[in-house]
Amino acid sequence: MIEIEHVSKSFGAVQALSGLSLTARDGEITGLIGPNGAGKTTAFRVVYGLLLADHGCARVDGVDVATHRMKAQRHLGVLPDVRGLYPRLSAREHLRYFGQLHGSGGQALEADIDDLIERLGMQDFADRPAKGFSRGQELKVALGRALVHRPKNLILDEPTNGLDVMSSRAVRELIFEMKGKGHCILLSSHIMSEVSLLCDKLVICAEGRVVAEGTPAQMRAETGAEDLEEVFVRILKRAGMLHAAHERPAAPARPIPGSEAP
Amino acid sequence: MISGLADGWAYRLLTVFKKEMRDHLRDRRSLLLALIYPLLGPLLVAGGLYMAGKTLQSDHASRPVTMPMAGLEYAPELAQHLATLNILPAPAPATAEAREAAVRDGRLPLILVVPESAQGHAEFTVDILTNLGQVDNLRATARLTDAIQSYNDTIAAGRAKAAGLPENYAHPVVMRKVNVARDANIAVFFYNMMPPLVIFMIFMGGVHLAIDTTVGERERGSLEPLLLAPVERGGLLLGKALAALVFTAITAGVNLTAFKLFLELAVAGSEALVAPPGWLAFAGIFIVSIPLMAIAVALQMMVAVITRSMKEAQIYLGLLPLVPALPGMVLVFRPIHATDTSVLVPVFGQMTLFNQLVADRLPSVAHVGISALVTVMAAAVIFAVAAKWFRREKMFVLG
Repeated sequence: MIEIEHVSKSFGAVQALSGLSLTARDGEITGLIGPNGAGKTTAFRVVYGLLLADHGCARVDGVDVATHRMKAQRHLGVLPDVRGLYPRLSAREHLRYFGQLHGSGGQALEADIDDLIERLGMQDFADRPAKGFSRGQELKVALGRALVHRPKNLILDEPTNGLDVMSSRAVRELIFEMKGKGHCILLSSHIMSEVSLLCDKLVICAEGRVVAEGTPAQMRAETGAEDLEEVFVRILKRAGMLHAAHERPAAPARPIPGSEAP
Repeated sequence: MISGLADGWAYRLLTVFKKEMRDHLRDRRSLLLALIYPLLGPLLVAGGLYMAGKTLQSDHASRPVTMPMAGLEYAPELAQHLATLNILPAPAPATAEAREAAVRDGRLPLILVVPESAQGHAEFTVDILTNLGQVDNLRATARLTDAIQSYNDTIAAGRAKAAGLPENYAHPVVMRKVNVARDANIAVFFYNMMPPLVIFMIFMGGVHLAIDTTVGERERGSLEPLLLAPVERGGLLLGKALAALVFTAITAGVNLTAFKLFLELAVAGSEALVAPPGWLAFAGIFIVSIPLMAIAVALQMMVAVITRSMKEAQIYLGLLPLVPALPGMVLVFRPIHATDTSVLVPVFGQMTLFNQLVADRLPSVAHVGISALVTVMAAAVIFAVAAKWFRREKMFVLG
């Protein structure tokens, strides 16, 4: 379980988070959505121990990240916004490196790596240097890196960004599988149709604080909008956080690549 | 067993170290710095020494030498005197303008010009056209003027004798130059150039790795995923620093080996030049260098984590080797051997120990130990500052 309680964080004069709170439970997929600059990445960084909150706290499985960073990180797998691979290491070497950093080793780690390579469809490029990987291949390696130590909790920042249809579907299936096994998953995405399909619970934030939360169905009922994108726009407008430049006629819902009926 | 080890700080540090070694052994830039750059200094010094050796041999006071001369047939006695001193005439340009141009342009080292008016006369004036802007000409000019001076002395002594005067009548004070220096000293001067160049390479060897694994990781976006792993930030930086240290040690090893081999080759054909220090001295320099490598890597890490971009780090770290190398250049001209005081100064202590080893004099164990301790302590303090900086949020937030 991931808990964020009244977290505030500022960078100089910029207030990135203003008392943001949310809870992502085990066996659920929680979507943290918001406009650019809403504080999603800052909130994630507080949870995975890169930033210290000015006020409030973040916990992973009850472990306070600020006081026990390394213990909390052992329970957490993260797919950050920036994939950041080593161009001279192969995909397999990336997974091995991060597995070892998490304390794994030996045959057990090699078996886990083989399993991830197969599940993420990385067989064709597993032993090639990462230089020249496509965005999709980079994302798969980054996802494998987040999963290699079998974390109970997952933070996924734009998990299908840059993937083709089949790969997106494979990643979504993997996320569902993790949820089925009782993992806690906290993700952010700008693809509303994907959020709608994946998330059990939504947390909408803007200007560093939560402006709405609930199940997608609850939010639809509350706003009277069917399309989640429209729900998002109405909630921001209601909170007075939709700038004029962003007010445009609602676009038709975008189907999730690969999820259309045959 | 594995799980017990895997939980440990040392295992994580070793994991980071092994990854950086594997990564950078595949990196052409790191290999270039470690294996090729260290050959350049030795090539330069050995080349210079070889040329100096050739110059000494060809210009030695008693060796036959040819010098361009014009009109020597007008002064046959002078020609005979020069021949007895192994100074033989070579053709010179016919006109005065051509002669001046040839010497000015460096095509001829000097030209002795005897005027036609000298024919049949005992007293006459000769011109020595020389270009002292070229160092090579100094010895040749000095040899020719000495030879003409000795001709004058011989004539003067003969005239004095004929007049019933003492032979040294015209030269009451007789000068005798006693040169106690050996030509071998020029080789020692070149050997003294080694320490600053070795220090320069020590401060260059791990520089690419230090930049690439810190500020480079931040620019590449791989630092954030790395910091998500449950590893102590100081341990993470130490693993990277150890890899940089190994590359620095490889660089120093290649550099010293190249110095020894190239200098041996440079003096191989020369009887005048003294041999370079032995392998024991080179091994000693390597051992004395180890604390120096530690402080070099610590400084590189500190600069690399403080700077905000790879370009900025490259500028500062490109200048860093000059800081210790420039004082080292002064020691080329005035070598100082290790003293109780010098070894207390980090880096400078190693320089004085280098000078002592290059002179083939083994330093005392106490001096080596004290200088190592002081320098390693300084390296530890600098590394602690780097590690503190590495823990700051700005390390990745601004990236």
